Amino acid sequence: MMEALNGLLTGFGVILTPANLYLCFLGSLIGTLVGVLPGVGPLAALALLLPVTFTLSPIGGMVMLASIFYGAMYGGSTTSILLNIPGEAASVVTCIDGHQMARQGRAGPALGIAAIGSFIAGTLGVVIMTFFAPAIAAAAIRFGPPENFALMVLGLVCTLFMISGSTIKGVLMMALGFLTAAVGLDVVNGRERYTFGSVDLSGGIELLALVIGLFGVAEILSNVETMAKTTLLADRIRGLWPSLADWRASWRAILRGSGLGFVLGLVPGGGPVTAAFMSYALEKRIAAQPDRFGKGAIEGVAGPESANNSAVAGSLIPVLSLGIPGNPVTALLLGALIIQGIQPGPLFIAQQPDLFWGIVASMYVGNVFLLLLNLPLVGLWVQFLRIPYRVMFPVVLLLCVVGTYSANKNVFDLWVMLGFGVAGYVLRKLEYDLAPFVIAFVLAPLLEQSLRQSLVMSSDGAMILIKRPVTGLLLAASVVLTFLMFRRRTKTEGGLP
Amino acid sequence: MKWAGIAYALVVALLSAPAGAQSDPKADLAKLKPKDFPTQPIEFTVVYPAGGGMDVSARLLAKHVENLTGDRILVNNRTGGAGMVGHSYLATQAKPDGYTVGVVASLLWGDAMLRAQGRWSFTDLEPIAYVNSDALIWVGSTEGPYKGMSIKDVVNAAKDKPNTIRVAIVPGSMWEYILDQIEANSGAKFLRVPFQGGGAGITALIGGNVDIAQGFYSEFRGHLEGGKVAPLAVAAAGRMDFLKGMPTFNEAFGSNEYLWQLVRYAVVPKDTPADRKAYLAAAVQTAMKDPELIAEYRKQGVFFDPKLENSKNLAADLNAYAEVERQFYIKTGRLK
Repeated sequence: MMEALNGLLTGFGVILTPANLYLCFLGSLIGTLVGVLPGVGPLAALALLLPVTFTLSPIGGMVMLASIFYGAMYGGSTTSILLNIPGEAASVVTCIDGHQMARQGRAGPALGIAAIGSFIAGTLGVVIMTFFAPAIAAAAIRFGPPENFALMVLGLVCTLFMISGSTIKGVLMMALGFLTAAVGLDVVNGRERYTFGSVDLSGGIELLALVIGLFGVAEILSNVETMAKTTLLADRIRGLWPSLADWRASWRAILRGSGLGFVLGLVPGGGPVTAAFMSYALEKRIAAQPDRFGKGAIEGVAGPESANNSAVAGSLIPVLSLGIPGNPVTALLLGALIIQGIQPGPLFIAQQPDLFWGIVASMYVGNVFLLLLNLPLVGLWVQFLRIPYRVMFPVVLLLCVVGTYSANKNVFDLWVMLGFGVAGYVLRKLEYDLAPFVIAFVLAPLLEQSLRQSLVMSSDGAMILIKRPVTGLLLAASVVLTFLMFRRRTKTEGGLP
Repeated sequence: MKWAGIAYALVVALLSAPAGAQSDPKADLAKLKPKDFPTQPIEFTVVYPAGGGMDVSARLLAKHVENLTGDRILVNNRTGGAGMVGHSYLATQAKPDGYTVGVVASLLWGDAMLRAQGRWSFTDLEPIAYVNSDALIWVGSTEGPYKGMSIKDVVNAAKDKPNTIRVAIVPGSMWEYILDQIEANSGAKFLRVPFQGGGAGITALIGGNVDIAQGFYSEFRGHLEGGKVAPLAVAAAGRMDFLKGMPTFNEAFGSNEYLWQLVRYAVVPKDTPADRKAYLAAAVQTAMKDPELIAEYRKQGVFFDPKLENSKNLAADLNAYAEVERQFYIKTGRLK
């Protein structure tokens, strides 16, 4: 305890210099913008700015890169709420209820609760990181393939609760998500699957292109169709700030989202995207009136937006305390450190206390910056609703194209985006829920790999999944939840549709 | 045109400098610089994601070449298909105008031989400079049943009790090929647990989920210093400077076929104009002589293959390595 507080003091000593504070602010600002712009994600921004950090001190560079990462989580919700187009993949679920709130004239409260939830979750995440980083890292590393598999199964079961409308259609979309994720190299033998000899397909379908297509392009298509009869949402703006009732509805969701996001951030392959989806599913599962979801429930914004922020703090722990990156963005942070000649590993905290505690301290500061930056912006963003669609959507479409291309510099990704845009448009018309598709797509590779790894490393086949206590517990919970889910569905719908 | 004139005058002045004077790398480079090149930023293409070993190598190189020449260089990650998309781009789409330089790894050869289906060959890319190498190293845990064992002990254990020792591999690449060789030569059998990349395998080793991991020095150095892992053997021609005590596989098994290393080098697309190619080659080669860059690479944990470092004919020497790989594919039936 004392050690952590001393460390934190050292960290604040390092960070509270004009230069480092400036870099932290700059990173927060860039992160917010990156989050707001649809398609342009933190990964592309970090890769672009990596060379800039060569000329900075290690601490300055890391502070800036980290603040872009969590800053993007703040900004990501903006276009989700205002335009029904996610700013980046971790804000997909925010569209569902966030945009409904905007349609009801409550864009302000939605944006406000997203910013405040992000702040609370971000800060809670750093607090946990301050006191428990080494202990958590030691526990997280024991998490092997069987545990990962069980966690992913639980995640999928939670997704069942997310399905709105027809269960059959929802499960069908999940299956399609699995199938789409199977395209590319087989994780076990390295052979190509469903690539039809195409080089472009051999790496699988890019998540960003898929998300931007399904949610961005498809939304633009539907809007173009209905443009003539749409009234501007700005005419219905009611109140800029969350009311007391909003608070009462969301504070528990924020706390739950913070905890869930943190844990999912720790898991290899997890991170903000998975965290946001899971949080939404959880909120819908435990809500007193689940049917409010999809119609502008503020918990559906507060939970996921908190979860994706605390997931950032969670995902930084394995990188900084063990040198193990769990997702592409943290891999890039690791690369930035290596370029500076610093090799994170188990001794990182002991050998580079200034750097570790400086980064931790900067996250406290950065979250304050982001809150101060984002709350006044709410008023500004809401004004964006006054821009006519015929002006807004070509710009947004352009941003989608630029963002998708900038991630891999691969033209094929643009075709993927367009293809999924059309598919998303058609599926929406037919009232298929797209969220289960995306979450299945995200979870499938992890699920498949961890299952096949578990079976290879097991001496007695599938028994490995029951013998390990954590795995057994998680799988048992999944079974119980599935049972509950079908009981509820059959009760409310009088049989499966 | 005024500047071109001054530059020309400068070149003339430098050419007429008294013989025997200390050669200045910057001046030598200026002599080679084509008049009309470069007029726009040069792209260093990396086919793997930002932040990985390949990317870090390329970005450090770009920084030094930029300082040396004053030319603007952009590092571009063209990723997808485990490198295949970028490799195809370099070999078939990139314009041979000198504005594209690929900073590639020898994984290019396997892609060309096994996956390109004759659409392109690695010889479509002409090597201009050697950068650095990483050799595959086997590491064991400092805990558990196999702690303190040598590489021979481990292989013998896998022979006595087949299919019990769990080894982390990356499917369809040298992580798997080296196991093929060891199993074929010794009769041992390992359990192959697949991971996406060497780092993930190291993590599983420390978590006790596999018994042996394979990786590059940079991937496990932190854990080595932390006392979590023990190096067993390296698949290179000689011992590593940074781990003198670790034997090579060839030493341990009295063989010469265990050579699994990643060679990083710079290429330009075939038919790049000769003057531009010569200039780019000189720029990268000169940057590679900078002790500062060498020191940065050493900090990153890579090594320098003496054969390639002092190569008179880089293309031929690289082809010789590639040929060894081709023979392996033919022998194991992967290639006809």
